[in-house]
Amino acid sequence: MITYLDSLFKGGNFLINIEQVNFSYQGEETHGSLNQINIHIKNGECILLCGKSGCGKTTITKLINGLIPHFNQGQLTGKTVVDGMIVADTPMYQLSEKVGSVFQNPKSQFFNIDSDSELAFGLENNGIAPDIIRQQVNKTVHDLHIENLLHRDIFTMSGGEKQTLAFASVYAMNPEIYVLDEPSANLDRASTLTLGKQLKHIKSQGKSIIVAEHRLYYLTDIIDRAIFIVDGKIIKEYSREEFLKLTDEERHQMGLRTIYQKNPPYTIKSDIDGELQVKNLSVKDKQHIIFDNVNFSVSSGEILGILGSNGTGKTTLMRCLAGLLKEHSGEVLHHGKKLSLKERNAICYMIMQDVNHQLFGESVWSECELSRDEKITDTEIENSLTFFDLLDFKDKHPMALSGGQKQRLAIVTGIVAGKKILIFDEPTSGLDYDHMCIVSQTLKDLAKQGHIILVVTHDMEFLEMTCNQVVQIGGNYF
Amino acid sequence: MNETNSKGIRLDPRTELLLLIIANVVAFTYSAQWIEFAVIGILALLLICCGCIKSALKWIVFFICLVGIQYYVIPILPKILVIMFSVLTVYIRKLFPCLMIGALILKTTPVRFLIISLRKWHIPQKMIIPLSITLRYFPAIKEEQRHIRDAMKLRKIRGFSRKLECMVVPMLMSATGTADELSAAAITRGIENPIEKTCIVDLRFHIQDYICLIVGCIFIIAANITY
Repeated sequence: MITYLDSLFKGGNFLINIEQVNFSYQGEETHGSLNQINIHIKNGECILLCGKSGCGKTTITKLINGLIPHFNQGQLTGKTVVDGMIVADTPMYQLSEKVGSVFQNPKSQFFNIDSDSELAFGLENNGIAPDIIRQQVNKTVHDLHIENLLHRDIFTMSGGEKQTLAFASVYAMNPEIYVLDEPSANLDRASTLTLGKQLKHIKSQGKSIIVAEHRLYYLTDIIDRAIFIVDGKIIKEYSREEFLKLTDEERHQMGLRTIYQKNPPYTIKSDIDGELQVKNLSVKDKQHIIFDNVNFSVSSGEILGILGSNGTGKTTLMRCLAGLLKEHSGEVLHHGKKLSLKERNAICYMIMQDVNHQLFGESVWSECELSRDEKITDTEIENSLTFFDLLDFKDKHPMALSGGQKQRLAIVTGIVAGKKILIFDEPTSGLDYDHMCIVSQTLKDLAKQGHIILVVTHDMEFLEMTCNQVVQIGGNYF
Repeated sequence: MNETNSKGIRLDPRTELLLLIIANVVAFTYSAQWIEFAVIGILALLLICCGCIKSALKWIVFFICLVGIQYYVIPILPKILVIMFSVLTVYIRKLFPCLMIGALILKTTPVRFLIISLRKWHIPQKMIIPLSITLRYFPAIKEEQRHIRDAMKLRKIRGFSRKLECMVVPMLMSATGTADELSAAAITRGIENPIEKTCIVDLRFHIQDYICLIVGCIFIIAANITY
């Protein structure tokens, strides 16, 4: 009788009920808003929320973990019930005991400086007895095989390790429901697959999982249903089988990424007579070799992909090529002439993963002025801005631009500085299919204009679409 | 990580904070020379006991240099330089005890332990949470500065004021974003729970803590009664 009442109270056997929800963020009309959302999730189900950037999938995750309405302000109607609790009427800390959240950015979700504290953080907040916390932490370490993450300074961890730690510290709280918002956006392939394994593990424990994600390949054998969202509306619900049956074309139409785990095109070129040659390049820091004997060559008009797992020194390689870091041995040649650190700095440009770090101007135009080469005329700047669809925004503040526009602006600043070699660091992290295609096209256009393009990426789908050739740093990637 | 550092004895962070206060009191009350030497000697010994042997040696060498300057160099200097140098040697030496304990805290105590000790002293959460976030943020700033410095080098941004501006703007922008994301992560992990927080680290006073504090008190008394 009690269980019957219980289930009635929980809305008929559903663990999560989202009923007739409309939402829009304060000061935002469309981006991320929701329109008549109804979702019912059973205990133990794994639901994928998919759709283009800004379609509202992140917003739905926030309905469930309570960030809406407790943290994000906006217009909300309708009702969300999670495990018998009406989300809007339940304080966050009470929800947090049932719902664990993993977010997109590995940098900004840890609260402590050392990993041990981080694992205990949630439990300590909820006043759990120290003995039980210790047990829980040990169990977490054992279950997720993260012995290597113990006693670590979090600031020395790679993005993948940080994200694993974020997941582990949620796991330690043992929630019933896991809500994940693009958890793989900043992960390399190995870390993404690890995440997939961890999700499988919690699913086998009967936990419910709601994941909003662009990258799909690591989720194919975990999800039970996929919910496809366009402009804040649920367009269609697929069973796992239906979803996996979609053709590439249908998926591209929907703006979704591949569901296959792609291998990169294996065309590692062995000729060494390209315009830019890197010979036996090694970089060392005080204690150890970061990478050793890197060799490749690339010419104008070509796009070279650089692969390597987290922590193999890809960033160091880029910094070395761009003249920001001295090599230990080996050389970099351009047209057969050896380049010094300064000369490399003069012809190379880096488009960083977080482009916010490289935009300093007060407007798009002043941003270009700031870095222009003396030889570049105003018309040439205008042409570049027009080419990248930025001329209309030339008086806007760079920080007011969208992510894609910022990235293109960073490219323009490199072009007007007269840089020949453009190095991209993970240009597609967290992008949906359409935006990835745009970035891919941009790189091809730049190559056509005679630039040498180097791309560090984990994104195989993008790599396949974009790069002519591939080099690997630090052992086999596969 | 410091937690696994097994060399030497460990002090409770509260002892270290108290020693810092004691060192201050002693430094500004003593007048007899031997007390200064004794304080420096004992602190160096403490550093060695806590496993910071290198650091202890550095401080002692530095100290001996300053004393050497005072006794052997200053007497033969012209008058103008004498004033400058004696200010330097005497006042820097006054700061030595505090600096040494500061070094001890930095080297042996994780930030988290400091926070826990503050919590044990019942400092209100309202002060502890901002403090812990601030301390959490320092390494993050360092990381970001590296990226921004790279970006500036690639764009040949020169001049101090220009560089400063270029450093501050992206950092402020990312700080607002990070603050938002960090808060969201913290409240989904129950930071607002009004229940009394627990802690898996067991901080307790041991014999070495009592010894240190007693020695500290003896110095305060000695500094006040000797001339």
